[in-house]
Amino acid sequence: MLEILKEGVLGSLSSVYGIAIIVIPLMIVLQVANDYQALNKIAEYFNFFIKLFNVSKAAIFPLLVGIIFGISYGAGVIIQSSKEGNLTKKDLILLATFLVTCHAVVEDTLLFVAIGANGTVLLGLRLIMAIGITYFLSKRINLKDLSVLENEKNKA
Amino acid sequence: MLLESIKLGIKKGIETTWMLAKVIIPVYIFITFLQHTPVLNWIAYAFKPFMGLFHLPGEAAIVLVLGNTLNLYAAIGAIRAIELTPMQITTLGIMLSFSHSLFVETAVVKKLDVSVSKFIALRIGLAVVVGMIVGQVGELLC
Repeated sequence: MLEILKEGVLGSLSSVYGIAIIVIPLMIVLQVANDYQALNKIAEYFNFFIKLFNVSKAAIFPLLVGIIFGISYGAGVIIQSSKEGNLTKKDLILLATFLVTCHAVVEDTLLFVAIGANGTVLLGLRLIMAIGITYFLSKRINLKDLSVLENEKNKA
Repeated sequence: MLLESIKLGIKKGIETTWMLAKVIIPVYIFITFLQHTPVLNWIAYAFKPFMGLFHLPGEAAIVLVLGNTLNLYAAIGAIRAIELTPMQITTLGIMLSFSHSLFVETAVVKKLDVSVSKFIALRIGLAVVVGMIVGQVGELLC
């Protein structure tokens, strides 16, 4: 009984240690990037998403925040932007589609790499699937469908 | 300013690690105990056909359940406690990347004022389909 407990405690502590040496430096980098508003500058390089998904310019920043920092942060920025009226219903649906499949990629990928997974496969597949599905959906949704949707919602 | 950012980063890193530790340690110890009882074998036996689709052992079903209901950290605690090959960890990693913490994250997505059931279906669907492809292709390559 005591042997099993010892095995469990030691094993779990070594897991936590393996993760700590990745998570702490990662948080420092993310915090510095955040404080120096690096993302605003980086966002300019991702303007090709505007054409690809046919979204507003205002959608790029929340998208990047979500991909890098996580879905809660992303959603926070999205809610903020939509309050300011910069996002359309189509933007919202496409942002949500992308971010539910692909968010917090740095942390999630490194966590699995820390326990022995192949990071390239993880990150590559996740990005490819998210871009593919969002692209497919962006071609399927048109403004007419959305206005019907919104009318139904208003009636309800 | 840089020093301030680094300090805050370290603080957040330690907070995250502490949060992880609180989840990983109990789950890991729990699974270690389970391994010394027949329960894990029963679960492994019951889920063998389903998990076989992904070329994963039956007990990996516990990892998927923990990851989807609780969070990735719980799943990671369980992965470490079960013996798996790097390929199997990659398969589990890709499945869990698409679909995890469904209760908490769905609550967040709901705040965006979109219908959430389709998003849950999308996440689970991707986990199953891509997990099957990675599992089967990985088995061929290794």
